[in-house]
Amino acid sequence: MKTGFTKLAILTTLFVSSLVFAGDYPSEPITVIVPSKAGGSTDRTARMLTEIAEKHNKGYEFVIKNIPGSGGQKGFEAINRAKPDGYTIGLVFTPQLVAHIASKRAKYNLDSFRILGNVAQDPAIVVVPKDSKIKNLGDLAKTAKENTLTVAVNGIGSDDFLAAKAFESKAGVTFNLLPTKGSTEQKAGILGGHVDAAFMNLSQMIAQHKAGDAHIIALLAKERSDKLPDMPTSKEQGYEVYMTATRGLVAPAKVDAATLDKLEAMFAKVMADDEFKAKATKGNIQLLPMTGKEYGEYLKGLQADTQAVYDKAPW
Amino acid sequence: MMEYISIVFQPISLFTILLGTVAGVAIGGMPGLTATMAVGLLVPFTYTMDPTMGLMLLGGIYCGAMYGGSIPAILLNTPGTPAAVATAIEGFPMSQKGKAGLALKVSVVASFVGGSFSVLVLLLFAPLLAQQALKFGPAETFLLALMGLAGIISIADENSSLIKALIAGLLGMIIAVVGTDDMSGSLRYTMGYIELIDGIDFMPALIGLFSMIQMLELAGMRKKHEIDMSALHKKQKSEPMPKGITKHIALGSGTGTVIGVLPGEGATIAAFISYNISKRISRTKELFGKGNPEGIAAAESGNNGCVGGSLVPTLTLGIPGNSVAAALMGAFIIHGMIPGPDLFNEYADRTYPFIISLFIANLVFLGVGLTVAPYLAKIALIPPAILVPVVSAFAVLGSYALNNSVFDIYLMIAFAIFGLLLKKLNFSLEALILGLILGPIAEGGFTQGMIIGKGSPWIFFESPIAKIMWVIILLLLIPPLYSYFKHTSLLKTPDAET
Repeated sequence: MKTGFTKLAILTTLFVSSLVFAGDYPSEPITVIVPSKAGGSTDRTARMLTEIAEKHNKGYEFVIKNIPGSGGQKGFEAINRAKPDGYTIGLVFTPQLVAHIASKRAKYNLDSFRILGNVAQDPAIVVVPKDSKIKNLGDLAKTAKENTLTVAVNGIGSDDFLAAKAFESKAGVTFNLLPTKGSTEQKAGILGGHVDAAFMNLSQMIAQHKAGDAHIIALLAKERSDKLPDMPTSKEQGYEVYMTATRGLVAPAKVDAATLDKLEAMFAKVMADDEFKAKATKGNIQLLPMTGKEYGEYLKGLQADTQAVYDKAPW
Repeated sequence: MMEYISIVFQPISLFTILLGTVAGVAIGGMPGLTATMAVGLLVPFTYTMDPTMGLMLLGGIYCGAMYGGSIPAILLNTPGTPAAVATAIEGFPMSQKGKAGLALKVSVVASFVGGSFSVLVLLLFAPLLAQQALKFGPAETFLLALMGLAGIISIADENSSLIKALIAGLLGMIIAVVGTDDMSGSLRYTMGYIELIDGIDFMPALIGLFSMIQMLELAGMRKKHEIDMSALHKKQKSEPMPKGITKHIALGSGTGTVIGVLPGEGATIAAFISYNISKRISRTKELFGKGNPEGIAAAESGNNGCVGGSLVPTLTLGIPGNSVAAALMGAFIIHGMIPGPDLFNEYADRTYPFIISLFIANLVFLGVGLTVAPYLAKIALIPPAILVPVVSAFAVLGSYALNNSVFDIYLMIAFAIFGLLLKKLNFSLEALILGLILGPIAEGGFTQGMIIGKGSPWIFFESPIAKIMWVIILLLLIPPLYSYFKHTSLLKTPDAET
């Protein structure tokens, strides 16, 4: 009798909760896992996005949870492991998301996630010290053939590293690659003239470039950036080397599809919002809206490219 | 300049600075809570605030937390930040003698002088100093880490066992090997644990090795340790600062500011190098390790000197001087203030009030320290039955809160057990933590230096800065080693005769 009653109670609860699910989502705050430290650019992107989302969508509440470490892997794994009830999503970044898959360290793969769309990007650049004789990518390739150039990248497997490797193979040169612990060390190396060049991201060096403390010689993209419209791209300079660090939203793959469609549409609206755009510009964040489908395609392509680099020279 | 000062002296600004600084002192004082964490967590909240107020709040936290770490270090031998380890070496013995009040007073005055001096330098010479700091490359970073590691020798002659201190230091460096090899990206001894990919965080180690072990020892005591109570009841406020301490405060302030300006984790190195130099030049060398206020003065002015110093490259070049400065830089960027010359032209009305507010923050913690210290000193009288569970709970909480990681709690407990064993065998835990923190800095500097030098070690001797650093390293190493061997051979000679 008692057990029967309990069973009934459980069934009712399940039934009711599934009803609540379809209709009243969200009925509780949604956790957004940010796989990096509070205050960093990924974190700022997440906070701006959720702030505007809450403002214009009644009933939505977001909680940011920072899980930094291991090049984002701890956070990526946490999104994958999260209960697939639609109340945990995450803001991931590339190429680390796919680099961990390529190096076989990840317990997830791209199919573990439902891709909700991309939010922002930070294109890769090549930067040299202010008094360097290298003025463009052609000079860089030429000088690298004559001398060994010391080139700083953020750690092994990062976007900078992959971009440098791609440039090496396109230009037929070999750099004396200097892995660092992050953009701080790269900046110190360039500003202090300890290295000949560095592969970095635009947002990290744009202020120093404008102040004349360092020279950006190329944007590794097909199109120029609004942030630095005078800067020629790698495509214009004749080197087909492209790299950008994207930041997009994903959810565990098993979450109810209808719920995620709702979320995806909601975020797409936020991305188009003028207030959000203004905030992003002020916060030095370059937006790159992509739908879930587009971003999914992009990630697949990136994974294949990364895998090729890894297989050639594993780390 | 007057208008900037008037911004700082608005009641709302003063209140913000007061709030930030007091919160900072409390955060620095709790095991496991650090300035980096507090500033990092608060940065997102400041972005709905007025930019200037937000920055002042964070600046207050930074200044307060740097000082706050010394309070539990002195009273309970549980340094709240790694930079306060050197303070604990001298401060805790003073507490046990009932001189906690004086120790706290020395520490707050030294922190104030070091902090204010460094902010003055930041205000007056920032662009000039930043250009100099750029000459400091990976090779020099390696030498700076070596200089810090020379501190192991000065820890050694307290316990007189040089070999054991060196072994402990080496053990710390070996533990630091765990994690990702930055140069190749390969994993070292991570045994499949994703938590170990970034290596072993020194905070759980610090909490385990100091806070937890201290509590275990307290709990394990059969008899309550008698503290000389009489000294506590005296009017400690009127107790004068020890004579000749000015020299050590000045030394620490200078060293701290210079090391703070250099990119990389400065405060711990600064505290240990100041402590070490101060011991070399002290007239009362023999008192070091037994409760010498001179050591506290040097270490505390050293680590607070890093505050202003670390902001020099952060504000002028966008290269953060340490992890707290990096978090602070995030707060500037949120408000569209990208570090560089713009901060001092376009945003001068926010940057200068922020810098000036740091002076007020230093004054606030000086006031807090001086008025509260005599009461705080009584913490040492709390019975272990209450103290042990409370501090242990904080230790667990703090370890977890660092990275939201349960793994770090286990790590902290493992360090406590392992460390207690080492301590009973007379190995120096201070040397171990120094090795653990400075090992990776030395490794990074060495490997990067070798890559930049294209495989030639000559790079470590090339620049004028490197040459000067070698001289300082030798000066720090040779005299104590000489006196150590002289001392041991003197001890051995009579044995040989009998």
